[in-house]
Amino acid sequence: MTDSTTHSTIDFLLTFADDEHLMGQQHTEWIGITPFLEEDLAFSSIGQDELGHAVMLYELVLELQGIEATDTAIDELAYRRTDEEYRSSAFVEYSTEDWAQALVRHWIYDTVEEQRWNMVAESSLQPLREVSVRAGREEVYHRRHANALLDSLLTSDAARQKLLDALEVLTPLVPSLLAPAPSEQAALNDGVVGGSSAALDSLLVEAIQDRFGVEVSFATIDQPPQARLTRSEHFAPLIGRMREVLDYDPEASW
Amino acid sequence: MMVQIDMRSEVRAAIASVDDPEYPGLSIVDLGLLESFEVEPEGVVQVGLIPTFSGCPALAMIAQDVVDAVEEVEGVSSASVSWLRSPTWSAERLTQHAQETLADEFTVAVQIGQKAPVCPLCGSATTELSMFGPSRCRSVSRCKNCSETVEVLRA
Repeated sequence: MTDSTTHSTIDFLLTFADDEHLMGQQHTEWIGITPFLEEDLAFSSIGQDELGHAVMLYELVLELQGIEATDTAIDELAYRRTDEEYRSSAFVEYSTEDWAQALVRHWIYDTVEEQRWNMVAESSLQPLREVSVRAGREEVYHRRHANALLDSLLTSDAARQKLLDALEVLTPLVPSLLAPAPSEQAALNDGVVGGSSAALDSLLVEAIQDRFGVEVSFATIDQPPQARLTRSEHFAPLIGRMREVLDYDPEASW
Repeated sequence: MMVQIDMRSEVRAAIASVDDPEYPGLSIVDLGLLESFEVEPEGVVQVGLIPTFSGCPALAMIAQDVVDAVEEVEGVSSASVSWLRSPTWSAERLTQHAQETLADEFTVAVQIGQKAPVCPLCGSATTELSMFGPSRCRSVSRCKNCSETVEVLRA
């Protein structure tokens, strides 16, 4: 790989990894306070998977940087970059206000995530192909879980209304999730990824129509240019919570 | 030559002596975690393991247990463990002994492919209650015959 190829690949991987990391973190914050026990178990397991995916992607980044992927090095990458160096979307940075939002976000995120893994299944980067096999297998459970719960909840008028309210709150954030990595074009040219983020737009509009019977449009929502280079207002408190224990004793060995 | 073959089998036995932290008494080799190992000259041993799932919190613990066990083998100067990205673990990798031990000692059934797991107590078919359970690699089912709630090991 040339230096510029390595650079664009790293940037592409970080965009995926940071979404996985923050989504996993957000899921863990529901453990113990979900409406019923089965959801506590589901969200802890799903959150654990997303964090596991983030670790696998961070390991790839470190390998491309020529750094040994020790736990310390992974933590450094995951927790210690400056705000500008993260590539996460406002969609995963957003701290949900209620369970309906958490559930709808879980469904939207995993709908998109499944496609993202598909898009790297034929990647020119062999270790990324391997990672996608494992992650893709785990993703099946996430999709099944979200759909099974929504199947049941959408039959109740009260629950349906709460879910639609949640969808309305989350819709303006979706374009940030679909926003490409700054280096996406280079990653496409290099065959690191086989499809563009733009392709996910119509797919998600259709999936939401099928799932909730609601027509949404993301194209008309204002989006900052290069959305992946800026952090939303929710990022600072979130990363603060994530660093809280690490900061308590920076020298501790975990 | 003979010495080397003996050493290889001793190293394998040392790896097999490591139990999965979730199932004390059940070897990681029976669980299908061992993919490869090399005994290099000078007694350097490299072990390649695969995790049951990507976010497993026990990986560091298992790796350390393997290193400790292998370094006990006479002639081994150092051991290291790599977690491999490929292949992906699945329940097909469990040995027959592992399946029997899980059923008999832990009342844990095994999900292989799409087939409904069998109740470890009475051998009847089960139905899924929850696709997630007490740990990430287990779901929860109920036996259609004896109504026992059964944990199911799955990928």
